[in-house]
Amino acid sequence: MGFDVNRFQGDVDEELVCPICSGVLEDPVQDIAIHPTGNNLYTLVYCYEIVAAYEDLQVSNVLQAPVCEHAFCRSCINEWINRQPTCPLDRTPITSAQLRAVPRILRNLLARLCINCDNIVYGCNAIVKLDSLTSHLEQCEYNPKRPMLCEQGCSLIIPKNELKDHNCVRELRNLIQSQQQKLADMKRELGEQQLQINEHKREIHLLKDFMRALRVSNPAMRAIADQMERDEVVRWSATLPRARVTRWGGMISTPDELLQTMIKRTLSEYNCPPHVIDELMENCHERKWPPGLNSLETRQNSRRQYDNYVCKRVPGKQAVLVLHCDNTHMPEDMMVEPGLVMIFAHGIE
Amino acid sequence: MANIAAQRIKREFKEVIKSEEIAKCAIKVELVNDSLTELKGEIAGPPDTPYEGGNFVLEIKVPETYPFNPPKVRFITKIWHPNISSVTGAICLDILKDQWQAAAMTLRTVLLSLQALLSAAEPDDPQDAVVAKQYKEHPEMFRQTATHWTFVYAGGPAKMPDLDDKIRRLTDMGIEEHNARVALSSYNWDLERATEHCLFS
Ligand SMILES: [Zn+2]
Ligand SMILES: [Zn+2]
Ligand SMILES: [Zn+2]
Ligand SMILES: [Zn+2]
Repeated sequence: MGFDVNRFQGDVDEELVCPICSGVLEDPVQDIAIHPTGNNLYTLVYCYEIVAAYEDLQVSNVLQAPVCEHAFCRSCINEWINRQPTCPLDRTPITSAQLRAVPRILRNLLARLCINCDNIVYGCNAIVKLDSLTSHLEQCEYNPKRPMLCEQGCSLIIPKNELKDHNCVRELRNLIQSQQQKLADMKRELGEQQLQINEHKREIHLLKDFMRALRVSNPAMRAIADQMERDEVVRWSATLPRARVTRWGGMISTPDELLQTMIKRTLSEYNCPPHVIDELMENCHERKWPPGLNSLETRQNSRRQYDNYVCKRVPGKQAVLVLHCDNTHMPEDMMVEPGLVMIFAHGIE
Repeated sequence: MANIAAQRIKREFKEVIKSEEIAKCAIKVELVNDSLTELKGEIAGPPDTPYEGGNFVLEIKVPETYPFNPPKVRFITKIWHPNISSVTGAICLDILKDQWQAAAMTLRTVLLSLQALLSAAEPDDPQDAVVAKQYKEHPEMFRQTATHWTFVYAGGPAKMPDLDDKIRRLTDMGIEEHNARVALSSYNWDLERATEHCLFS
């Protein structure tokens, strides 16, 4: 709702008055609906209207159609549109999407108006420009609700007119109470979410069992499932950067638990398909490696083939993934399904 | 009363006071109470109509949701018109219903629209079916009846002695004057049927 016209110094131009509330426009917007029938009586008599040359809107069939720019307070026109989606001056259909900020010239005219302070009844005689009214009100000495900092110890910010009856202990106790309430609410919510998670886990378990049973009982299903899983690995592999091993000698063939856990966490962080992660991690130790790699001796014999491996980077770690899907060109004694994890002391780029 | 309604009514009240029409005594508005929720309107019967020379008082109630909803207006002065109830004064006029426009209409335009309604009745969208039927089927009878009502209730200039006589015949029988007038008006001034109606229904 606009500002009372009587609060302004001198006369206010009719164009700056909202035709809905009769106040001086507050947060003004204008409708840019196309008025197919042109002006009607009411528009001519009462409305602030500029027949603007919106060339882009003058498409052939509405060549003569004037576009009117009725200005209203945002709250006023929105309240009207909620009841009835038409221009309240001439019934042209409009929606809130057809409301635009008014031109700067109008905003400037409004900003320059001089208005008295809201707190005139409390004794403030200030007259300020409309655009600085808000900032004046925030600091106005006479504003009974001016936010004040309590200096008796609690440091809460309270309206000036409540300062007199203010009691630090009481306020703080209320604060604690409300915080405790919030805390209790959160705990309850957490408990509920935990329950839900457990429920979901159980359901996932059931689904997995079900799928396993399907796979076992139906070979076609098994083939489809296997294919899907393979595809998933291929897709995942495509998301990982290629890695280059500069020093194959840095390979750790018997990584300890700690190292393994660290690599596994990284793999799962980087979206390793869950059905291969355990197998892959099994294959990070020479005891699970293929015949061409499983002892120091065989490794020495296979050394020249190492550079044929297509390696993918385990992000941020000195480790590479040698996935079966990327390495179908390798001899059988150098590969295992679904792939190998090789951890290095150094030498990975 | 909501601020916005009060702000609007104050401004519209001034608008009427300052209008040309008030200078010509065509429309008038007065405050009934300080809260601006109720006003008294007045319109002069337009020339070349049966209402000419009459003064019609209106009750204007301003809803809390004004101007998003129209004011509630009814005739206090009894009037014989197809779009106005001869019993309650309720008005059938689109702008006071779904055609209300928050920004285009004011007390002044409402009063002027009502005045226009007196000049141009719309019998196909009646508020008072009896009046509308007479308006369509017996236009001369309608004109006389409306003129008579204007004389009796709105201070109109044209006395209709024939009609007064018929009313007196009924009042002599102990029938209340207004009831007699309504009955006669409704039965196209057929004394026999009006009497029958007053005595036996
Ligand atoms: Zn407004
Ligand atoms: Zn418009
Ligand atoms: Zn101030
Ligand atoms: Zn305090």
